[in-house]
Amino acid sequence: MQHADPGPSPIATLPAVQRVSAVLWPSFLFAGVATMVFFALIDPLVLLDCQGVPPLSRTGAYSLGFFLFWLLTAGASMCTLYFLGTRIPPRKPIEEPDGS
Amino acid sequence: MNEPKVPDIPIEFADEVERELYARRKKIYPREVTGRFASLRTLAVWVLLGIYYVVPWLRWDDRQMVLFDLPARKFYILWFAFFPQDFLFLTFFLILCALSLFFFTSLAGRLWCGFACPQTVWTEVFMWIERKFEGDRARRQKLDRAPPTARKFLIKGGKHAVWIVFALWTGFTFVGFFTPIGDLAQRLAQFALGPWETFWILFYALATYGNAGWMREQVCIYMCPYARFQSAMFDRDTMIIAYDPGRGEPRGSRKRSVDHKARGLGDCIDCTMCVQVCPTGIDIRDGLQYQCIGCAACIDACDAVMDKMEYPRGLIRFTTENAVEGKPVRVLRTRTVIYGTALLLLSAGVLAAVLMRTPLGLDVLRDRNALYRETPQGLVENVYTLKVINMDEREHRYSVEIAGLPGARLILEHDDVRVAPGEVLAVPVRVQVDPYALRHASSSLTFLVKAVDDPDLGAHREARFLGPTPVAAR
Repeated sequence: MQHADPGPSPIATLPAVQRVSAVLWPSFLFAGVATMVFFALIDPLVLLDCQGVPPLSRTGAYSLGFFLFWLLTAGASMCTLYFLGTRIPPRKPIEEPDGS
Repeated sequence: MNEPKVPDIPIEFADEVERELYARRKKIYPREVTGRFASLRTLAVWVLLGIYYVVPWLRWDDRQMVLFDLPARKFYILWFAFFPQDFLFLTFFLILCALSLFFFTSLAGRLWCGFACPQTVWTEVFMWIERKFEGDRARRQKLDRAPPTARKFLIKGGKHAVWIVFALWTGFTFVGFFTPIGDLAQRLAQFALGPWETFWILFYALATYGNAGWMREQVCIYMCPYARFQSAMFDRDTMIIAYDPGRGEPRGSRKRSVDHKARGLGDCIDCTMCVQVCPTGIDIRDGLQYQCIGCAACIDACDAVMDKMEYPRGLIRFTTENAVEGKPVRVLRTRTVIYGTALLLLSAGVLAAVLMRTPLGLDVLRDRNALYRETPQGLVENVYTLKVINMDEREHRYSVEIAGLPGARLILEHDDVRVAPGEVLAVPVRVQVDPYALRHASSSLTFLVKAVDDPDLGAHREARFLGPTPVAAR
């Protein structure tokens, strides 16, 4: 079955530094915001009282929290980048049943 | 037999062609520039970096003047102590910063980018270090093209070593805003830094080294959100850097002694100095472009050339679109007035709120170990921990009362609720009530904390009191 080639995604043709920055930098910013808001409301020592959590200092908790947030937001940015690259080949017009 | 020479056409596979659709980034070698604006930029570097590196060492009373004490959950700025409850102030402060940036941009364009932005400031220092090791523009280009030799290794190695040391000092200072820097320095000297401190010092050192040493203008072009939206705040009266084609075109080289106007030439001698000094590598003569950070190096370079040619300065200059077309210059316009007024009102509001905030914070934490307890007398009991935060500058004694739950009795473990200034005291309390007096399984209860020596100073917080489902409801 012959499909028309959709061509390379414009995302793939962007410089590597731009693609890497587009994932790592916005995720960094929003992970920072999330960390600040979350830990302003919730004292990490209260969380550390929970069972099964490693014994960390407050600074350790802030740092771990930040990196977990960053991982999450980076995952979201990566998905965004990935989906921006979707290209579908142009559909060949066919005869519709109603004659259009 | 002389056959016509067939040109050698290089054949590349389609895949590779597609992969090479963008040109590899060509390193930019900005030429050194001196002039009015270069001097202003250098002054800005000294002032701003001076503030950054000196402020953590300044003291106020017996503590660091600016300290974002994360482990203790308190931010100190001058004589203020901010607690997590004051997080709203931080939000408003950031909004204020954004609004002032918009206001400034509508007036003066990208002056922030070229003169004050940390990326610009640190990149300037790193490039100054690079020039000390590798020389001027021509020398730097030559060195990069040269094969690897011992001399090249020593020069590059020396530059990176100084870069790394400077980056480490920057990272250390940054962590010094979050942990008292004197103490940090002592522990550094004894190699006794905590693991997280060490990690963050190295992290910020790496970020400084990477952004200022390697990335440079790439940060402005690919990473900065302000770069992308700053032009939305422009109008035809915003100050920009522009080349005057009316004066400069047609361009062409000529001897100084020649009457260029008679020859039909404009003032531009096409020396390309404006392109050589540009840190983002653009040609301002093509018009204002996205990459232009408004550093005015091209203005300085062109002015210097104009001086040598004995032409008037300002072929490239700070101007506005309207000014270039000869229209009158307006500073007070709808856009600037709106931004300015909003800025003024918000600043006044935030300042008033900060100065008038109640220096008493109260948090109520209900003991979650059990929904409720039954006392031997058959009363329903809930246990709470009150966090009383004295944000004032002197010690206070506080009284604790409850309201909103008829028939409830408050039992304090200790009668004397005394909190030192800037401290948080955890006060365990119990509330007991007859189960038949409860109307709902979950009732609302208000805790009131008042300063004994200042009846105007008080805080209240609502909490929930849980009990069994009331008899009437069953």
